Amino acid sequence: MSTLLRASELAKLPVVTFAGEAVGQIKDIVYAADGGQVNAFTLAGRGLFAGPLNTAVPWKDVVGLGPDAMVIESEKVVVPTGDVLAPATTSSGGGGNVLRSRVLTDQGTALGVVNDVIIGIAGQGAQADVIGYEIEPAETLGRGRQRLLIPLPDTLAASGENLVVPAAASQYLTDDLARFGSVVDSFRSQLSAPTGAASNNPAQRSAAPTSAAGQ
Amino acid sequence: MRYTETIGRHVVSTSTAVTIGVIENVLVEPVEQRVVALALGKTAGSHRMLPWGQIAAFGADAVTVAGDDVLVTDGRLTALDGKDHAILGKQVLTTEGYRVGSVSDVEFDAADGHVLSLLLDTYQWDGRLLLGVGSYAVMVRPQQIQAPEGLAPASQPRPY
Repeated sequence: MSTLLRASELAKLPVVTFAGEAVGQIKDIVYAADGGQVNAFTLAGRGLFAGPLNTAVPWKDVVGLGPDAMVIESEKVVVPTGDVLAPATTSSGGGGNVLRSRVLTDQGTALGVVNDVIIGIAGQGAQADVIGYEIEPAETLGRGRQRLLIPLPDTLAASGENLVVPAAASQYLTDDLARFGSVVDSFRSQLSAPTGAASNNPAQRSAAPTSAAGQ
Repeated sequence: MRYTETIGRHVVSTSTAVTIGVIENVLVEPVEQRVVALALGKTAGSHRMLPWGQIAAFGADAVTVAGDDVLVTDGRLTALDGKDHAILGKQVLTTEGYRVGSVSDVEFDAADGHVLSLLLDTYQWDGRLLLGVGSYAVMVRPQQIQAPEGLAPASQPRPY
């Protein structure tokens, strides 16, 4: 993971063409239906009183996404929002809302509520992958109220109400975004080779929650 | 030749020895990374654009042209002369979405008009990487940055 971005930091970024014109700003992020990737960005007009433009930019047409701007080749890649919205969820409104969704393990333990989405971009032309969530931890976790980062598998079930993650994810909770990329990598490599390394007993975890790779 | 050194220089007709105008703006066509014309002030008529091809010599003290009927009026050149296409002072964004500074000067080849480099606050950007000049920003392709000592290279992803 070369670049990790918080979804909340992308909102309001200007969308600029090669010609140096700003066609709008990012309003919202449209995720694939399985929640695993960024499909598109919806746009809003720039400025204090500008509203939504009902247009969007598919991820494949994004040339660059940095801290100061999202860059596209020209305004020709901007499409009506309906074209990208149909099979997807957004982070606020329409389809299903990821933010404020409850994170549930496949063992039925509630881990918390989604507060932000962590997006990883491996490099030029790569997929924008949803690699984790920032959650407000559930009280039953016994981790206090500090927000935690939870790694995600490549794909997961999302309904707009619940997001179901493998129980093993709760062992990788961390509060350190700088090291979150390597946490996600070790979590995913453990998922692809499940040789009994992870405990599958949810009671044991909630009694003594650990953060295997995060500390 | 630097943009800021060019402004105010006289344009002289070699056939009549008359000053036909004073350089007010250097018009860069970003797609070609080239100076395409000079916008003049204090001209006798209503035409004020001097196309690059009409320049006889870009001398140290004056620009010379063959006659005094070389000025034109052209829609594209007038657009390039507008505020939206001005380069100096505008912020510079790379195609990777990083702001790398704002333009303090433009260095161009006095012989053929090619943009050699953009001088930013802290960096010098290769002119061949220029992509576009719009109302929001000057767009450039990324380049390997030689950061001045003590400054972090701007092309590296910032820690989030």
